Amino acid sequence: MPERAAILPGTLDLLILKAVSLGLEHGYGILLRIEQISGQALAIEQGALYPALYRLEHQGWLESEWGTSSNNRRAKFYKLTAAGRRQLRDEVASWERFASAVAMALRAAPSEA
Amino acid sequence: MLARARSWLRALAGRRKLEQEMAEEMEFHIAARAEELAGRWLSPAEALREARVEFGGVERYKEECRESVGLRLVDALRADLVYAWRQLRRAPGFSLATASILALGIGASTALFGTVDAALLRRLPVERPEELRRLAWTAPRSGFCQSYSGDNWTGPNGEEISTSFSYPAYRHLRDRTSSFTDLFAFSGFERMNVTIGGEPRLASGQLVSGSYFPALGTSASLGRLLSPADDRPGGVGYPAVLSHGFWLRTFGGDRGVLGRTLLANGTPVVVVGVLPRGSCGVDPSWCPDLVLPLAMQPAVETWAGDVLARPGHWYFQVMGRLRRDAKDEPARAEAERLLAEAIRAAAPPETYDLPRVLLLPGAQGLEDLRNSLRRPLQILGAAVASVLLVACFNLAGLLLARVSTREREIATRLALGAGRGRIVRQLLTESLLLSALGGLAGVLLAYVAGDAIARLFLASERAPAVEIALNGRVLLFAAGVLVTVGVGFGLAPALNATRVDLLPALRGTRGTTDRAPRRSGKVLIALQVALSLALVATSSLLVRTLVTLRSQALGFRPESLLVFQLDPSLNGYRGARLLDFHERVLRVLEGVAGVRSASMSRHGLLTGSRTSDRVSVPGQEGLNADIHFVAPRFFETLGFPLLLGRDVSWGDREQAAPVAVLNAAMARRLFPGRSPVGERVTISGRAAEVVGVAGDTKFDSLRAAVRPAAYVPFRQSEQYSMTFVLRSEAAPEALLPALRRAVAQVDPNVPLYRVRTQVQQIAEATRRERLLASLVSGFSVVALVLAGVGIYSTLAYQVARRTPEIGVRAALGAGAGDVARLVLADALAPVGVGVVIGVAASLLACRMVESMLFGVTPRDPVLLLVAVAVLLAAALVAAWPPARRATRIPPMEALRQE
Repeated sequence: MPERAAILPGTLDLLILKAVSLGLEHGYGILLRIEQISGQALAIEQGALYPALYRLEHQGWLESEWGTSSNNRRAKFYKLTAAGRRQLRDEVASWERFASAVAMALRAAPSEA
Repeated sequence: MLARARSWLRALAGRRKLEQEMAEEMEFHIAARAEELAGRWLSPAEALREARVEFGGVERYKEECRESVGLRLVDALRADLVYAWRQLRRAPGFSLATASILALGIGASTALFGTVDAALLRRLPVERPEELRRLAWTAPRSGFCQSYSGDNWTGPNGEEISTSFSYPAYRHLRDRTSSFTDLFAFSGFERMNVTIGGEPRLASGQLVSGSYFPALGTSASLGRLLSPADDRPGGVGYPAVLSHGFWLRTFGGDRGVLGRTLLANGTPVVVVGVLPRGSCGVDPSWCPDLVLPLAMQPAVETWAGDVLARPGHWYFQVMGRLRRDAKDEPARAEAERLLAEAIRAAAPPETYDLPRVLLLPGAQGLEDLRNSLRRPLQILGAAVASVLLVACFNLAGLLLARVSTREREIATRLALGAGRGRIVRQLLTESLLLSALGGLAGVLLAYVAGDAIARLFLASERAPAVEIALNGRVLLFAAGVLVTVGVGFGLAPALNATRVDLLPALRGTRGTTDRAPRRSGKVLIALQVALSLALVATSSLLVRTLVTLRSQALGFRPESLLVFQLDPSLNGYRGARLLDFHERVLRVLEGVAGVRSASMSRHGLLTGSRTSDRVSVPGQEGLNADIHFVAPRFFETLGFPLLLGRDVSWGDREQAAPVAVLNAAMARRLFPGRSPVGERVTISGRAAEVVGVAGDTKFDSLRAAVRPAAYVPFRQSEQYSMTFVLRSEAAPEALLPALRRAVAQVDPNVPLYRVRTQVQQIAEATRRERLLASLVSGFSVVALVLAGVGIYSTLAYQVARRTPEIGVRAALGAGAGDVARLVLADALAPVGVGVVIGVAASLLACRMVESMLFGVTPRDPVLLLVAVAVLLAAALVAAWPPARRATRIPPMEALRQE
């Protein structure tokens, strides 16, 4: 098993939105998808996924409906709303700004004085 | 925001579904994970276990999910409520007493606000009431107006403001205005003799112009209402519109009433329609039974003649609907210009100034109801608010003491990590729950009270047209009061309770630092005392006023007198026929068994109405005096003496020489030091010989001093309606059936009205004073009892807390007197502070009732001292039992408690 990085606080919402934006999916599926698209590099507490899902739905970024999973069980599927799509765009943009700023900061070398 | 609210509401409403789905969703996750794990190397059972471990604490995540959708607060609140309920159940006596006090306070204030809402704040139930204006005018010399009927009052600068217009002036304005879409005219209250199927009865009527209902936008609930086509005079069978109430009362809501012919003051009218329920026109103070076209005035008011054609008779009120694009000032100026034209066109014979026109707001209709209820409602409102405040302070004090006994519980919870806010919220939930219980009972009380308050203060003859009932606005008010009260009395104790020293509280020993609750307790006592004192002082003034009024020397004996009125002019009696009618009725009445003596006068005594005119002696400046138009035996029947000369006699008829009897006050003014009998006086411009002098009596009102008065034989000055007075041998009410039969012998179509005993009549005259005095006294007793309970309980609590200290003092040799003094001083200090604040508050409060007082000034020092004494006595009574208990504390026991 590759070594996994714990995810930064606050980024779970972003990852969920991204995962759901790829298509209708249930909770477990979202977990697998995040692991998959992050190249298995991120470790997520499985249960913690749900409070985040409920919060995102509460804020109107996700909506859910009950359907049947691939192994024929009843499962709750999530999809992105229009507001959720906007939110994802905003969060991706701000994440990229943050990441590039941090990257730039870390590239700084001691000045030769 | 919207999404969140929707999601929260959905979660709240579908709580069970949410819980079930949450469980199912997480189960699915674990099962799916287990399947995947089992596919590799684990047995299904092991896989499931592993999946559960990986998932983490299901319950914890569920709780977090609930929090995510905003349910945690709701859950906590529910727990708080359950806990609060248990706390209240644990002290049922306290809870019940508290809730009852609050029920009374909230109920009274809700009922009162309901009345204020209906009577003072509500707009007329018509289309766009904000566009309505009432026309009024003021002129220093009003020679253009020879005869006036209607409302007038004194404006802010002492000018006389009048609201009636002549019909020609109204028509001039109506036909030429460009600022009003409609101008409509109407008469005031008209007493009408209505005959339905041969049976006469008195009804209230109103004459309105044809544009009245169209302008108000009112449509009929049955048939049609009046229209401008009904403004044409003449024709047979004038149309009549019935009010909804009259239709129900008199015709039982029969739809076949349309087309029926009634007699209104002897003139046939045909019912064409019925007004919708609650629709009574523009005056909220009464609801006309019958609405008739103004064009009918000459036919129904035969005694007045055709007023419609006369420019000098200003009898009709005018309102209008302002054009939407019109402004008030140009509309006013235009009306003023048009009115001036109309007056000039009429060429008045007397000198006059052109009137200044005023536009009064009309959205709420005429002012009468508001004017008569505003002051009493203000006074009652202040009284109820004071009682509610006293109750709040009282409960705050009680809770303060109660919360202190829960110190250990609270300290334990604080020590276990509960936040201070959490505890405050818990305690507030308790006080809010209490006030909610009280509030519910209070709203019920207000619902039962209904329009009782308004009815109490209005004359019994006319029912107000506004419907007073609980509506959304009133319920909102009740909810506001409830929350304010709950937070008001709960917050201070809650904040206080959470400011505890944990260690001593947990150990059960009292620190010496608990002065804060004691200080708040004292402040609360002082406030209760101050408010109670203000209430007691105010009620003492009102009671004093009532007593003074009731003990006014009337000048006559009101017991065993029955009075009623007859107005045969409504049936067309005039001249000698009218006078004969009155005389024949009186002679028949004198013969009724049980009648000791009978007489009559135009207004009767203390009915609130009077006639006054100029009386003079030839060659002297005259004076304004009351004029009574009387039959023989008036003095004897009412029980006051004829001092000199003779009574009016049956021989003083139209053709006989005019005579008059003066009262003693008049005789002294006109003929100081000599007998007026045989002298000549001029009354209303007519010479008469003085034949006698009678004793002095009050005339129209108890408040007015005895004035000079003249008694004129009724046959020598024709009056339409007469007030009959009978002195009976036994209970006066028992005579009534015989009297009705006697009057019917003379004419069965003339109904008796305003039938009452003279004692009832006087009670009616002091009704408002009596009501205010008893209500405010009632409230002050409640406040006094509450303040007493407050002093008692606070002191009892303090004595309990200071038991060890008192024990030590007793052990060190303090006597019972010392201990009692110590405790009483502690109790009475805040009372003293309260009295000082209260005296200031009383002086303010008494100013408010100044206009209702009689024979007493709002700063009466004696009454204020009495009020202070009453309060101090109540405080002593309340403080005594705890003080006595303190003196009996055995020192050993007290010390052992430490």
